[in-house]
Amino acid sequence: MGGALGVASGSALLMSYLSLIVLIPIAAIAARGLGVTVHTNGWGMAVWHWSASSDFSGFWSNVTQSDSAHAIWLSLWLSLSVAAVNAVFGVVIAMVLVRDSFAGKRLLEGVIDLPFALPTIVAGVVFVYLYGGSSPVHVNLIGTWMGLLVALLFVTLPFSVRAVQPVLESLDSNAEDASRSLGAGGFRTFASVVLPSLLPAILTGFGLAFARAVGEFGSITLIAGGQQTTTTASNLIFNLFAGQNYTRAAAVSVALLVLSLLLLASIGVTSSRIQRRLSL
Amino acid sequence: MSISLEKVTKRFGVTFGVEDVTTLIPSGSLTAILGPSGAGKSTLLRLIGGLVTPDAGRILIDDDDVTFLDPRHRNIGFCFQNYAPFRHMTVAKNVAYGLKVRHRPRAEIADRVAEMLELVRLSDFASRYPAQLSGGEMQRMALARALAIAPRVLLLDEPFGALDAQVRAELRTWIKELHDRIHVTTVLVTHDQNEAMEVADSLIVLNEGRVEQAGSPTDLYDHPASEFVLQFLGPSTTIDGVALRPHDLVIVPTGEGTPATVTEISTLGFEIRIAILLGSGETAWIQQSRAEFDAQPVTIGQSIGITRRDATVSPVGTRLDPRGAADRAPDSAAALTQPTTP
Amino acid sequence: MTDTVTIVPAARRNRARDPHRRQLLPLRAAALLYVALLVGIPVCFLFGKAFSAGLGTFWNQITQPGAVSALELSAKVAAIVVPVNTIVGVGAGMLLARRQFVGKRLLDLTFDVPIAISPIIIGLSLFLAYSKIGAFGPWLFARGVMLVFSVPGVVLATMAVSLPYVLRSIVPVLIEIGESQEQAARTLGAGMWRRLFTITLPAIRWALLYGIAVTLARSLGEFGAVLVVSGNRAGLTQTLPVYIYSAWDQNFNDVGAFSGAVVLAAISISVLIVLSILRARERRLRVDIA
Repeated sequence: MGGALGVASGSALLMSYLSLIVLIPIAAIAARGLGVTVHTNGWGMAVWHWSASSDFSGFWSNVTQSDSAHAIWLSLWLSLSVAAVNAVFGVVIAMVLVRDSFAGKRLLEGVIDLPFALPTIVAGVVFVYLYGGSSPVHVNLIGTWMGLLVALLFVTLPFSVRAVQPVLESLDSNAEDASRSLGAGGFRTFASVVLPSLLPAILTGFGLAFARAVGEFGSITLIAGGQQTTTTASNLIFNLFAGQNYTRAAAVSVALLVLSLLLLASIGVTSSRIQRRLSL
Repeated sequence: MSISLEKVTKRFGVTFGVEDVTTLIPSGSLTAILGPSGAGKSTLLRLIGGLVTPDAGRILIDDDDVTFLDPRHRNIGFCFQNYAPFRHMTVAKNVAYGLKVRHRPRAEIADRVAEMLELVRLSDFASRYPAQLSGGEMQRMALARALAIAPRVLLLDEPFGALDAQVRAELRTWIKELHDRIHVTTVLVTHDQNEAMEVADSLIVLNEGRVEQAGSPTDLYDHPASEFVLQFLGPSTTIDGVALRPHDLVIVPTGEGTPATVTEISTLGFEIRIAILLGSGETAWIQQSRAEFDAQPVTIGQSIGITRRDATVSPVGTRLDPRGAADRAPDSAAALTQPTTP
Repeated sequence: MTDTVTIVPAARRNRARDPHRRQLLPLRAAALLYVALLVGIPVCFLFGKAFSAGLGTFWNQITQPGAVSALELSAKVAAIVVPVNTIVGVGAGMLLARRQFVGKRLLDLTFDVPIAISPIIIGLSLFLAYSKIGAFGPWLFARGVMLVFSVPGVVLATMAVSLPYVLRSIVPVLIEIGESQEQAARTLGAGMWRRLFTITLPAIRWALLYGIAVTLARSLGEFGAVLVVSGNRAGLTQTLPVYIYSAWDQNFNDVGAFSGAVVLAAISISVLIVLSILRARERRLRVDIA
């Protein structure tokens, strides 16, 4: 009807924008990483032709070189640990925010969002000052996995809390009252009634925190201290890029993407399976 | 302004569509679209309002073909089921919205808004927000908003749906009064046959997307075109596989009519219900007035004969009106609607 | 509405006296300790040190030409990116919440890419697509278009990274308020733009402002993607986060990096405060709707 033409041209404009900033670049990095060469045809603006000379053994050797494998492995286990620790504390903090009341709760609310609002490089600078060579608390974590862990716990905390909080708020308190009326104590009620309903939200928070941790760069690049043992995948990708080793940088990116997408997809499937069982 | 639908079809999948609908809604009438849920009532209303475009057929308002006209150019008043209040605007701003869109002068808008709020008795609520209104008040605000633009037709989607019983009754009466006062062609959707019979002067009964029957409430009640209409519009019972109204059954001496045995007699105030067992093993029931029963009482276990009351022997003699006059309002409405002038 | 205002605190007070609530005390202690150690100490340290080092040094550092031009570039980039991504977010949000079309799922997924993917990888993707050695770079360079190692590159990277936030914050609200208010306005004669500006946008205003605030925070703070595509050219393509990084990592100017971090932190914490006010207002609005 009236606005149909406007909507159509708006959609076309939107798709061009998304292509420019997301879709074309992602295609380009995937092609580069998998050894596909892309040429552009010189004169026709919209005419590109692709000549594929795929070389998967090249891709494989690029990602299995010891430094790549180590970096990807480090990123994965660190991110999983960070997501797990914050899943626990995320539930604790959400419980306190939703169920407890005390002076200063508003402040706690605000502080939870700080790591989300604070630019990652700012966090990075603060951590190397606080836990570096001239540490006022005499803890030197530069070049250790502990340093990476602290920084990643910091940046992922809001995701773990904010995923659980709204679900906890909307939870039906009748089930808990029923559990208490049947003689169950607070902890038992929590474990047998509250926790199962929160599980999908906890998994969502776990996935968000994991994704953020795997991709994190700014807050950990300084505290990693340039050591090979503490070079995460994103750090390695940047180092390879800075060394003009573009094909390997792209290959490591593709491997990291595939691994974390697989992990996120399985989290999503599990979460929706639990959700379906809960809503029966 | 009359509304005419010609072979209108809109399909959505399994339910809620309409199929080959042809009907004429007379100018100045108050028409109810009636049917069970999923029958396509709201779709029909939305088709008239232009919120949905038909797959086939034509829709005319006052001989203008509006089939593909954007709803904003149809000049209709549409009241939504959930009232669709503009929550960030006051009651007065809500009512003024359509006039502002039409670039009316400021003074005229102010006058018209005051007039409309007076009409729906919300003058004291002008500067409130929708969140501060009750369901009935929000409904009246929605009506004022729709009427402010002096629409050609007024369309109401389940206008009494979300209200409690008392407010419903008041609003019903009030809508009839309003209609008698402003005479705008009004179409409303409802699933409640009592409501439709009480409020409307013409009915369109919809079932599975098709028009089962259209006409005046009494006409449809007395001359249902199908078993569906008969059963939907009032009580019914079945004798020998034929559905009919239980008050159309009369008791005759044994040996005449269909043989039956009285199994239960219940008194509901003025009304008597006699449950019977037919020779075939089927059960049925008869509806009588207290006076009818007292004139010819029966007892449980008594053998009787049953026959269908014939128009010629009808004791009241008012049942049939072959002209099926559309202007004949149900009796209950007469007491409710004395046209009033402000 | 006044009822809720008076009833809620009373109910809270009763709940606090509830014996079951006492069981929350250890949880409260654990939550406060964890947040204080992880977030409280670093943030207090940042501002404490900034002031203890003396405001003179601090001022001296942030008025260095490199720092000033970095701050200017960050502001300029945000001034371009925030409006563009707001318009894109609202347009795509209306499409996703109100219409059925082929490719809807793809559109939805595209907006998740910047959240799921490392900023470093986004930066590298842009580089591999538009740089001289990239897929489309030579064709673009031949026409004098430099999308990498330039200010347009910085803008592009920031656009990509801050893309999803407006959309993600408005779509749930758009779905929740439904279409009927827009349809009502339509039957009253309002056209598409009037409906958008007088009905839809006012109805989603808090969620929209929240999304804009997050987009602004992301734009000002983005580091990884910008570091890759900017080429880190001091005074030309250095945004404030990249300036902080170079000051620390390459120029060994600790105090300069720290001062820059304080400025950036102050800006983003201001945005956060606005954000939490908006969050509170949106909650109250939700209560109104319910």
